[in-house]
Amino acid sequence: MSSSPLLVLSVLTLSHLSWANPLLARKTGTDLSVPDPKAKYWDSVPQEHVPLMAQPMAIPRPEVTRTAQVAVQALHDGKRLALRLRWRDADRNEAGRLGEFSDAAAVQFPLAGKPVPPPVMMGMKGDPVHIFHWRAQYQRDAERGKPGMKDLYPNQAIDMYPMEFADPGTTSTDEAARDKFSPGREVGNPQSYPKNGVDEIFAEGFSTSAVQEGHQSQAKGNWENGEWTLVIVRPLAIEGGSTVKVGSSTWVGFAVWQGGLGEVGSRKCVTMTWTAFELSDKS
Amino acid sequence: MGKVNNWHLKRDMEYVYEEARPKRQWAIVFDLNKCIACQTCTLACKTTWTSGKGQEYMFWNNVESKPWGGFPLAWDLRVLEKLGRQDWAKNGSYAGKTIFEAAPPTERAVHFAPQDEDWMYPNIGEDDCMGLVERGGHIGALPHDKWFFYLPRTCAHCTYPACLAACPRKAIYKRDEDGIVLIDQSRCKGYGECVRACPYKKSMYNPYTRVSEKCVGCYPAVEQGIQPQCVVNCIGKIRVMGFVSPPAKARDDNPIDFLVHKKQIALPYYPQLGLEPNIYYIPPIHADRAYLTQMFGPLVDGAIERYRKLQEDPVAQGLLVLMGSSDRILHRFEVDKGQAAGFDEQGAEIVRVPVTERVVERLAFDEKLQAPRNNTP
Repeated sequence: MSSSPLLVLSVLTLSHLSWANPLLARKTGTDLSVPDPKAKYWDSVPQEHVPLMAQPMAIPRPEVTRTAQVAVQALHDGKRLALRLRWRDADRNEAGRLGEFSDAAAVQFPLAGKPVPPPVMMGMKGDPVHIFHWRAQYQRDAERGKPGMKDLYPNQAIDMYPMEFADPGTTSTDEAARDKFSPGREVGNPQSYPKNGVDEIFAEGFSTSAVQEGHQSQAKGNWENGEWTLVIVRPLAIEGGSTVKVGSSTWVGFAVWQGGLGEVGSRKCVTMTWTAFELSDKS
Repeated sequence: MGKVNNWHLKRDMEYVYEEARPKRQWAIVFDLNKCIACQTCTLACKTTWTSGKGQEYMFWNNVESKPWGGFPLAWDLRVLEKLGRQDWAKNGSYAGKTIFEAAPPTERAVHFAPQDEDWMYPNIGEDDCMGLVERGGHIGALPHDKWFFYLPRTCAHCTYPACLAACPRKAIYKRDEDGIVLIDQSRCKGYGECVRACPYKKSMYNPYTRVSEKCVGCYPAVEQGIQPQCVVNCIGKIRVMGFVSPPAKARDDNPIDFLVHKKQIALPYYPQLGLEPNIYYIPPIHADRAYLTQMFGPLVDGAIERYRKLQEDPVAQGLLVLMGSSDRILHRFEVDKGQAAGFDEQGAEIVRVPVTERVVERLAFDEKLQAPRNNTP
């Protein structure tokens, strides 16, 4: 391993100490069920700048820190928690074609309510984390449908695909028959199906992330003037997942990917420590 | 980082995981002197595996014209350029750095990331000679001063795969039973790290399923003792698939070991990259030796010399006619009394062919019938 031993040590031992000021989510009377990055009510919510740096442990990793900080605001309505993230990104990238990667961001909570949080680098075996992973690509799915090949490559020409015949009604061609020719879909890989904007993921360390089905979180990002503004809304309590309680505190971590600069997977900027996070019952 | 032995390099090298050789290792030998770039292999693979959405551009098997061709564009030149000048030692071991050893601390391998347009030309430079032939020019001596040759390529199911090393999700695995390297289609998230890291560029991203795919070595056939589609459909019979052993375990009656170890006429391509690739090539005798040495390493002169003397070796001749004579995997072969025979894993004979085909001379005039013979079908 080429990571500095000192760095690794600090991550492992000081993970509950925070580099950023604690975050506070106050209560609002506004209904937060629909994420709205441009809503007026965000104007009065205090904002904390959380520092990020190039993910230093898992290889391949980025050489330089592309996103040095993310501005975070938080609100809750007694049922849901909304986090608003803002970061600079010169280009908007939704990915799709070969060699393209999507802009993305993630928020991470400890899954179990232990007094000491798991390692901030995606948890560890037996002490998992709960991640809310938004991609511009996933949002495109939710808003305009998952792109087909003609959407990605408008000028492509193809005679026909297996089980999609030119004359309708010539044979039974249900989706399951066609999926046999798309391995990712055939084996049920969540990447191969339309996304609703945000994935909920459990992880127990690097390379273990697993997408969870049937979640209720939502996200909406808006890119303007070289900046993403993203709101992720999650229920306070998620059965089988993480729970955040009003009147108590927990921990939160962040990650940002700039797809246009080739950031994807382990090539990302992350918080090196957990940020303390309190949910107040006051408005 | 572990130390592993790479016998192609005749030395130990750095690799992210420990050495863990499979029980046996899938391998193909190609005789480049016989390939005519008919692309039957390419189409056999294409119709079997990659006719779906997002696979339109994919050629898990492709045939490119060297020196100019490449799929994706200039894949070999670009990775060699990134690696920089490296040398073989006088004793035949590799003195340079592999793509793993030359990697910066942030990466698993020295690589380049192919872009969308790099995949758009499956055989640019097809049939282009390396130089212009002068009017009235004559190509008489070996090697030719103007040359090109065809290079058919599948995934090499490397002993030390760069795709597997680079995957941060550990979604790529190498099977213990046959050494075939697969991308787990249910775990891959399409980060494209394997596409970047594989120097041979045999991992490909599917933009429809949003995960990466690669040559699967026709494992469902191999599991039943049958050779891959690209091999059994080769009309030039230039290929044979079997299992290659490391040098210490090589068996002279194993067809792949015979060509790779005993005769040493089949060589790995770009062994200096350090992956111990398991597709082996009998180099073309007519092409430029410096170019071939760069591609196949320092053993190329000896391999060509021995290949040109195969007519003096009836066993080798027998094996060359066994190539393409059966769709079954030959685990053992023998040549005796002018006949070559191949055997399956249980030792049962599956094919027998004459080493020299009987020649029947059919004269243009039939004396018995007093009639001219006409070959019009």
